[in-house]
Amino acid sequence: MMKAVLVVHGGAWAIPDELAEASVAGVKDAAWAGGIILKRGGSALDAVEVAVRVMEDNPVFDAGHGSVLNTDGEVELDAIIMEGKTLGAGAVSSVRNISNPVSLARAVMEKTEHIMLTGRGANLFAESIGVPTVPTQALVTEQERKEWQHYKKYTVGVKELFNSQCVHDTVGAVALDAFGNVACATSTGGIRNKMVGRVGDSPCIGSGGYADNRSGAVSCTGHGESILKVTLARLILFHMEQGKSACEAAECSLQYMAERVQGRGGAVVVSPTGDWSAVFTTARMAWASFTAERLHYGLNPKETFEETLN
Amino acid sequence: MLPVVVVHGGAGYVLKQRFEVSTAGVKEAARKGYAILKSGGSALDAVVETVAILENNPTYNAGRGSMLNAKGEVEMDALVMDGRTLACGAVSAVRRLANPIHLARLVMEKTSHVCLTAEGASKFARAMGIPEVPEESLITDHARKCWKDNQCPDANPVQYQMGKMGTVGAVALDVHGNLACATSTGGIVNKMEGRVGDTPCIGCGGYADNKLGAVSTTGHGEAIMKITLPRLILFYMEQGKSPEEASDMALAYMMERVSGLGGVVVVDPKGTWAARFNSKYMSWAAAQQDQLHYGVSLGEDLTEPL
Repeated sequence: MMKAVLVVHGGAWAIPDELAEASVAGVKDAAWAGGIILKRGGSALDAVEVAVRVMEDNPVFDAGHGSVLNTDGEVELDAIIMEGKTLGAGAVSSVRNISNPVSLARAVMEKTEHIMLTGRGANLFAESIGVPTVPTQALVTEQERKEWQHYKKYTVGVKELFNSQCVHDTVGAVALDAFGNVACATSTGGIRNKMVGRVGDSPCIGSGGYADNRSGAVSCTGHGESILKVTLARLILFHMEQGKSACEAAECSLQYMAERVQGRGGAVVVSPTGDWSAVFTTARMAWASFTAERLHYGLNPKETFEETLN
Repeated sequence: MLPVVVVHGGAGYVLKQRFEVSTAGVKEAARKGYAILKSGGSALDAVVETVAILENNPTYNAGRGSMLNAKGEVEMDALVMDGRTLACGAVSAVRRLANPIHLARLVMEKTSHVCLTAEGASKFARAMGIPEVPEESLITDHARKCWKDNQCPDANPVQYQMGKMGTVGAVALDVHGNLACATSTGGIVNKMEGRVGDTPCIGCGGYADNKLGAVSTTGHGEAIMKITLPRLILFYMEQGKSPEEASDMALAYMMERVSGLGGVVVVDPKGTWAARFNSKYMSWAAAQQDQLHYGVSLGEDLTEPL
């Protein structure tokens, strides 16, 4: 039996102190929810989906409930899920009015011939398989609506400066199950004041995430456009294929992203043997990992706390 | 060895009677792209204009001539990437545009984003003053026939698609040593509304990096996505493989791992190029050192002076 592992992140960005505690509590909840599935012999795919759903349902994170608003004051969501055995993948981009985009992404993988559905087509598919529609209001916190109003009055340049420093971003998970299968999932509301229809890295295979039983699984977060330019998830796995550890591969890929396109971000990674890592170049990233015996978590650079599960 | 442009008009099955028209289009596009490069133009200009020419040609599944979705509508995807800065622009599921590749370039140059989709992409096109064209103007009789044929209960759109022409694309290296790629498609026939294939995904429909090379892909989009084909080819090249070896290895892997057929055009920073495919046919053309190379069947490499 393989050593089952699950690692989650709640987004790499300059998380303000007032959100710190809730962010850490949120990723621990998600790691626990996904970890239980692995502990009971469930699949990596089920585990990452559940872990991401828990964070989509938690308004502290920018995904599902708690998403940021685009320039029109609307919510558009992106998500991907991938399993490493067959390289099966599903993704949705710019989908509206649903609570759990990661589960819709999984339905695209399992119920269609396609990998990715976008915009109205994704919503039509959601309706056709009976996914309930939720009002936009339900996905947006009062705080986000206020901040959106506040920043709306600034010019585009200021908005971008704000986004570059204070990007609410993305949740994700990777897992290795007892059968040796890996999976990844990533979900996001994107960046505040994004243009209508903006698609970031999250739903893009090889950028927002990638999973391959032969090399490992990765979920990324951070400045989406930079992640896309270097196809960060795939880059990390290529480094692992060449013998680097999960931590070394993530560190050198994030370093490359900083040098080549001046982008910051983070990633959670697991290898087919259970070597895992949570790495970031932003000020903070809330992350948590579940292994058979222990829950690890952290928020600040070089910080790891440990709790023993009972 | 500089400059060079390599274009493809899609991997798949080409009817014998369509060999000539399929190769004529890519040859014309390669000539025009080469002329841009010879006059000192950028690789980016060359690939965008080359792909626009193929979008305007109804022979290919991109722009005019696009395959139709399940509802009989045209939704198009396109990607462009600049190997100098890794800047890229993409549009997915965009409608009523003659040249999606031009909109992808505007996303790259006029926004802080990489990809715009569906209605948001149309909204941006209007803001940029790009005229909408009637959907009818993009639909050929051939596309409508394919759509009808595929409504039979026993039709297999994936197999059918591989039996017809796919996606168009180009890679180029300019006299300044800059690389670029561009890819554009109408997607798979009878796709679900909103289906996005490999084309607009960075690292799937194409990738360009001055340090490694440039790739544009065609074929079964879902298979290409699963293995991020262009990125894989460039990793092999980074490890010392030639464009041809890297392409053949990656296409073989795609067949072994996800049973996928497709084709690629590739160029490295020195100007070594390749046009490789594991489907039955792919129309392609390459222009370098005042020679035009072209072909459509496996192993074929015909030449004529430019």
